[in-house]
Amino acid sequence: MAALSDIANAVIRDEIEEFLERPDEIERNVALFARMRPEMQDIAAALIEGDNHTVDALTVKALADGTEALEIMDDGLIAGMGIVGIKFRENFIFVPEVLACARAMKAGMVHIEPILSASGVEPIGTVIMGTVKGDLHDIGKNLCIMMLSGAGFDVVDLGVDTSEDEFIAALEEHGAPIMGMSALLTTTMPNMGRTIEALIDADIRDDVMVMVGGAPVTEEFADDMGADGYGKDALSCVALAKKLMEERG
Amino acid sequence: MTAGLSTRPALTVIGENIHCTRVALRKGKRIAERDGAEAILYRSADGEERALPVTEAAKRTKDYEEGRVKHVQVAIETAMETAASDPPGDAAEGLRYIEALVRHQERAGAAFLDLNVDEISPKLGVQTAAMAWLAGTVQGMTALPLSIDSSSVDVIRAGLEAIAPARARAMLNSASLERLEALDLARAHDCRVVVTAAGERGMPDGAEGRVANAARMVEEALARGFGLGDLYIDPLVFPISVDSRYGRHCLDAIRALRARFGDDIHITGGMSNVSFGLPARTLLNEMFILLAVDAGADGAIMDPVASPPEAILAIDRTDPRYQLAEDVMLGRDEHCMAYIRAWRKGRLATT
Repeated sequence: MAALSDIANAVIRDEIEEFLERPDEIERNVALFARMRPEMQDIAAALIEGDNHTVDALTVKALADGTEALEIMDDGLIAGMGIVGIKFRENFIFVPEVLACARAMKAGMVHIEPILSASGVEPIGTVIMGTVKGDLHDIGKNLCIMMLSGAGFDVVDLGVDTSEDEFIAALEEHGAPIMGMSALLTTTMPNMGRTIEALIDADIRDDVMVMVGGAPVTEEFADDMGADGYGKDALSCVALAKKLMEERG
Repeated sequence: MTAGLSTRPALTVIGENIHCTRVALRKGKRIAERDGAEAILYRSADGEERALPVTEAAKRTKDYEEGRVKHVQVAIETAMETAASDPPGDAAEGLRYIEALVRHQERAGAAFLDLNVDEISPKLGVQTAAMAWLAGTVQGMTALPLSIDSSSVDVIRAGLEAIAPARARAMLNSASLERLEALDLARAHDCRVVVTAAGERGMPDGAEGRVANAARMVEEALARGFGLGDLYIDPLVFPISVDSRYGRHCLDAIRALRARFGDDIHITGGMSNVSFGLPARTLLNEMFILLAVDAGADGAIMDPVASPPEAILAIDRTDPRYQLAEDVMLGRDEHCMAYIRAWRKGRLATT
């Protein structure tokens, strides 16, 4: 079994030691970083520190040295973001820091994405995002979009006050596997359920995974209205989107 | 400026403590075991240490599983439901909890008590019933005017209809361009009204958008016969953690609105939104309220127990903690990094 001392990068070792508490997460991350090349650990460490310039420079250098784009994405960027997510969940870091990490992730992804798409690797997935009809709040939804696009998703932003028809038209136009709906008001929250019903009526419900979120939304409410998942904040939204992509296969 | 010409307090507090959104952490000091059951600890209006049991319904929620108890909701549900149950449950304790929320805010200097039950249930019928009950109940506990707060006009109507005509004029929270019918409702009930700077099609960007939307709301209200003194503008407070310019957007809008409409109109706002996503929130909220008052606001929708209004007005701005908070609010601390660093080093602790 891998040990903490098998990890070359001191920042990563400190991060795991200081911020990870759940045994399964410690074990998984120690194993992950221990098998990783030191150059990739350096990228992850810079991402965790929210240093977009260093992530940018190290990504360019790694690509020039012949590292596969996929390795940089999976090992450097996504693994680094995994630590960020845990720290945010446990209140060790706060929204501005998570946004800095998302910007750092993006600084790496701008180099990775064109290579992946040129070599025929599809982006992780396209997500249609919108605040539901009657609701004008967009700060939470925009945070989700920043995090999703940082994580490599293509995001189509439908803005606020999005009607059922607008969601359906966007799904048909982009063939997106995931759709996210946001609502900040208990008065507009039921429009999530109505939109899901409209997807059923349009006979496209089975083509898309639906995720929902927003301050008054709960997991129970998400289940009741037939959503595929609920995310309580922007980072849960990214984890959920990845999980839904896997479930979809 | 000469003092004493106006009897209006410098900070009219709309106390926000009776909101179903409010949570206590199960790991925190306010939740503990009493008589073999998990309970919410509180100090009653008479100063007695009491415990309100966490209901079974609350324990079945995801919130609870993740360590949060919606304590105000527990109190309301306990008071509403167990009175009718057989054998009768903890209804008296629920009422005592609500009375404590009322009295503590009253003593802290609240001018209005804001009531919000939107998150008690996704069902409109449950919300309207809870609001009617709560408004009817709270008015029996205090002479303070109530502020009926909901995103649903139906819920607001239920609250206003429960208020006895002889009472101090209530507040309707809130009306906006996307919801002009709320102005008519406020007029029909002879209420004061919070008018927000939300647009018909989206939230305003920057100070100008806020001023333009709020000014249109003021015109709409004046055309319906409201006086300027009946209106409480909420310029919309956004979380500074998301964009370091958000503080200035709001403060600049307050300045422009005060200059435009003069002294009679009220300017308030949901001030605690500003600190969402950051640590040591009270410090940030207090600094922002002070800056808002400087800019021309005369009110705040806030927690007066956590931050007594007179203490806010007496803040020592040379205190390094408040200077750090001021830097955040004025956009001088990009990504709030200096503030968060100070918090990590324990430099933001209040006694």
